[in-house]
Amino acid sequence: MLRAEQVSFSYDTRPVLDGVDVSVQTGGLVGVLGPNGSGKTTFLKLLAGLLTPASGHITLDDVDITTMDRRTLARRVAVVPQETELAFDYSVLEIVLMGRYPHLQTFELEGPADLAIARRTLAATGTAHLEQRTFRTLSGGEKQRIVMASALAQFEGAPSTPDSRDPPHEDTNTTRVLLLDEPTSSLDLSFQLATATLIAELNRTYRTTAVVCTHDLNFAAGLCRSLVLLRDGRVVASGPTDEVLTPATIGAVYDVEADVHRHEITRHLTVVPLARL
Amino acid sequence: MREATATLPALRPVSAGDLRRRIWLVQVGFGALAVAACIGAPLVGPTTISLRQVFDTTIPFGQNVDAQIFFIARLPRAFAGALVGGSLAAAGVVLQALLRNPLATPFTLGVSAGASLGAMLVITLGVPFTALRSAAVPVASFAGALGALAIVYFLATMRRQGLSTLVLLLAGVTLNSLFSAIILFVQYLADPAQTLQSVRWVMGNLDIGSYRPILWALGPMGLAFVAFARLPRALNLLTLGADSAAVRGINVLRTQRVAFLSASLATGAAVAVGGPIGFIGIIVPHLVRLLVGDDHRLVLPASIGLGAAFLVVCDVAARTVLSPMELPVGVITAMLGGPFFLWLLVRNR
Amino acid sequence: MRFTTRHTAAFLAGLLLAIAIIPGTQERPRAQEHPARIISVVPALTETLFAIGAGDAVVGVGTFDKHPPEVATRTHVGGLLDPDMERIFALRPDLVVFYGSQQDQIKQMSRAGIETFTYAHGGIDDTLSVIRRLGTRVGRASEATRLTNAIDTQIANVRARLAGRDRPRVLLVFGRQPGSLGNIYASGGAGFLHDMLEAAAGRNVLADVSRESIQLSSEAILTAAPEVIVELTYDDLMTEDTQAAEIAVWDRLSSVPAVRNKRVHLLLGNQFVQPGPRMGDSIEAIARTLHPEAF
Repeated sequence: MLRAEQVSFSYDTRPVLDGVDVSVQTGGLVGVLGPNGSGKTTFLKLLAGLLTPASGHITLDDVDITTMDRRTLARRVAVVPQETELAFDYSVLEIVLMGRYPHLQTFELEGPADLAIARRTLAATGTAHLEQRTFRTLSGGEKQRIVMASALAQFEGAPSTPDSRDPPHEDTNTTRVLLLDEPTSSLDLSFQLATATLIAELNRTYRTTAVVCTHDLNFAAGLCRSLVLLRDGRVVASGPTDEVLTPATIGAVYDVEADVHRHEITRHLTVVPLARL
Repeated sequence: MREATATLPALRPVSAGDLRRRIWLVQVGFGALAVAACIGAPLVGPTTISLRQVFDTTIPFGQNVDAQIFFIARLPRAFAGALVGGSLAAAGVVLQALLRNPLATPFTLGVSAGASLGAMLVITLGVPFTALRSAAVPVASFAGALGALAIVYFLATMRRQGLSTLVLLLAGVTLNSLFSAIILFVQYLADPAQTLQSVRWVMGNLDIGSYRPILWALGPMGLAFVAFARLPRALNLLTLGADSAAVRGINVLRTQRVAFLSASLATGAAVAVGGPIGFIGIIVPHLVRLLVGDDHRLVLPASIGLGAAFLVVCDVAARTVLSPMELPVGVITAMLGGPFFLWLLVRNR
Repeated sequence: MRFTTRHTAAFLAGLLLAIAIIPGTQERPRAQEHPARIISVVPALTETLFAIGAGDAVVGVGTFDKHPPEVATRTHVGGLLDPDMERIFALRPDLVVFYGSQQDQIKQMSRAGIETFTYAHGGIDDTLSVIRRLGTRVGRASEATRLTNAIDTQIANVRARLAGRDRPRVLLVFGRQPGSLGNIYASGGAGFLHDMLEAAAGRNVLADVSRESIQLSSEAILTAAPEVIVELTYDDLMTEDTQAAEIAVWDRLSSVPAVRNKRVHLLLGNQFVQPGPRMGDSIEAIARTLHPEAF
């Protein structure tokens, strides 16, 4: 379980998050929603251990993540950022192999097991055919998937050293969290669908816990089983999607009057904005 | 932007053994290149010398002109060229990774301006103690480099949240301007002979005539190289961005600190020995990336080897082409660097 | 008589004309007058002016001028790289002595209507002729001729004294990084330093390179193997200890005959690097260094 307990954070003197309390079950699929400035991205960074809360704790399986060694945390928590800008050009395989860093000793080179894992994650994201391409030549959607493959490679146990303490990813009892920041912002419709399908499948097959920050209410409604709605750094509502995604909460968070109904074909909630409040 | 075919495809790893082989090949290959340059350079020059006479121990050293040419005039230059070239190239690679900018050079962050100021102060204002005189210029130059390093580092780490590469860059650029202004002022105070020496120093000169500057430089360079040995993988991950690297387990702040300090130390020592020789810190890393790709585990050792060989060869040209006149080695690297840049621009259009 | 508009206009016109013309007529020097306010940024020519008796007319000198001691009482106006034009104008000179390369400053002067005299760096003969030209220009032609004749005589005496002697192979160094053998500058086979060396009965090891200044590598020095090394330096305040230390720097090149035979000499003073009235003394000093037994 990934928990944020009464977490507060400020950038210099500007408060960004205040008393945020969120629990994500192992194997959960949570969407974090909110308008610009609500603190979504900051929250994600706190969950990833990139920032330290000013007050409160973030715990992973009851261990405070600020006490965890960086590499141990990296084997459990991975981030797919909104955009990835490379300073230099690497091949797709090299980038996915970078996800193996938390499993390697200082001067250790990637071994056959690492390469196998890298190829597995590429296959899982449907990008195995791009292995030898250079990153900059890829389209936005392809880049997104490569970065996801690289993130997934952080989880896979079975590293090249025999005395690993990490169980293979197939072990679904340890919490592995994938944090995604606006995963659909630069994707076209077909890739949006593909990403949602991929996340759902990882969640279903490997019990990968996923936390998705997004603007896209319909994407969240279609993919996530539970939602957290933030406004001005505070949690306005959290819980199962069906309970939380109502016109009342949408109005409270976005200042928008919206219609929420269940779509006949997908059976997911669909949100249509009607007017500004 | 490079096309996918820019790198020799065979050098991108496709199997686990590949990477091991590539690293070994690169280290041995480029290392051999550097060693060959160091061995070949003292044998070449405007004066023909006889190797047999050089190593003839029956002739007293004080009368053996060939031996003196070999051991005093040429060999120290070869060693200095290798150390300085290797250091500047490595520092270039590290700083380009740190600043996430392929146009960064070892001189971007003000270290060389500090070194130049130190050297010029001594050339112009003199040295108080006779005993320090022979070491004065290199020591003052290294002290200036350390001073610049400290100022830039302090400015970049002032904020609570660690090291800001943007502030690092701005501080370096500002320091370059500031020191250049001070240097102009110091030259204003100098007499014509001192001005001539200052201007000449800035063009770079490896004719050190003794092994002592090399031995002194080995200290800071050694420290820097020990740090370089552990950096390549972290530098690879830094390419993804600070956050992405941190999330994969890199201690970003420590990596940035080590990268900055080691690159600056290596640069400071290199400039103290041979003056601010330009273009190596940018030509060599670029050339190497074209040959071996961007994995720093290949780029760093290759750059050290190629940088060493490149400067040694430039230095041979410097002392041979217009003999008995010495062409400043910095001019030669510039003459090669300028057209190289134009070529880079043209092919990347 | 009433002052009509026409009268006023005429009066104003006359006033304006007077303002325009009269200052010009007073301050624009006629070429045949001797200048009474001279500025010189060239140390050798400043020295020359004093040596030919025109010192009283000198109101401004260059920053690097040290001879004769009277220059300390004059206003300093800068040198080759940094002449202070404001200060020069403020001194209201009627003749300013510049380096030939200071073309911008010379143009400024001519726009302001101030005469200039140009110094061009050259060998012994060129320098003597410059001294004579300057003398003529400031109305001291005969003093200048006396001076150049004295220099000629001094040089001729030195040549005569050294006639028939062996001429050692000499490396004449005029610049080097302090404390090391880096960035050595020596005189090639052309220019004033080379002329002085020849007059002092020395043979320039770099005579076949027809350049005034050569930056040498250690290898070139070892190959040239000079018998005597003469180093010239501006710094006449160098202490004995420092001088000894600087000479000791050459010990490294022990196979060079000059080093082996302890014939490395340091000569102090800026008169060596810029030819002027003490040219004869400079040549004599070098001659004494090369041929101590002849003096």
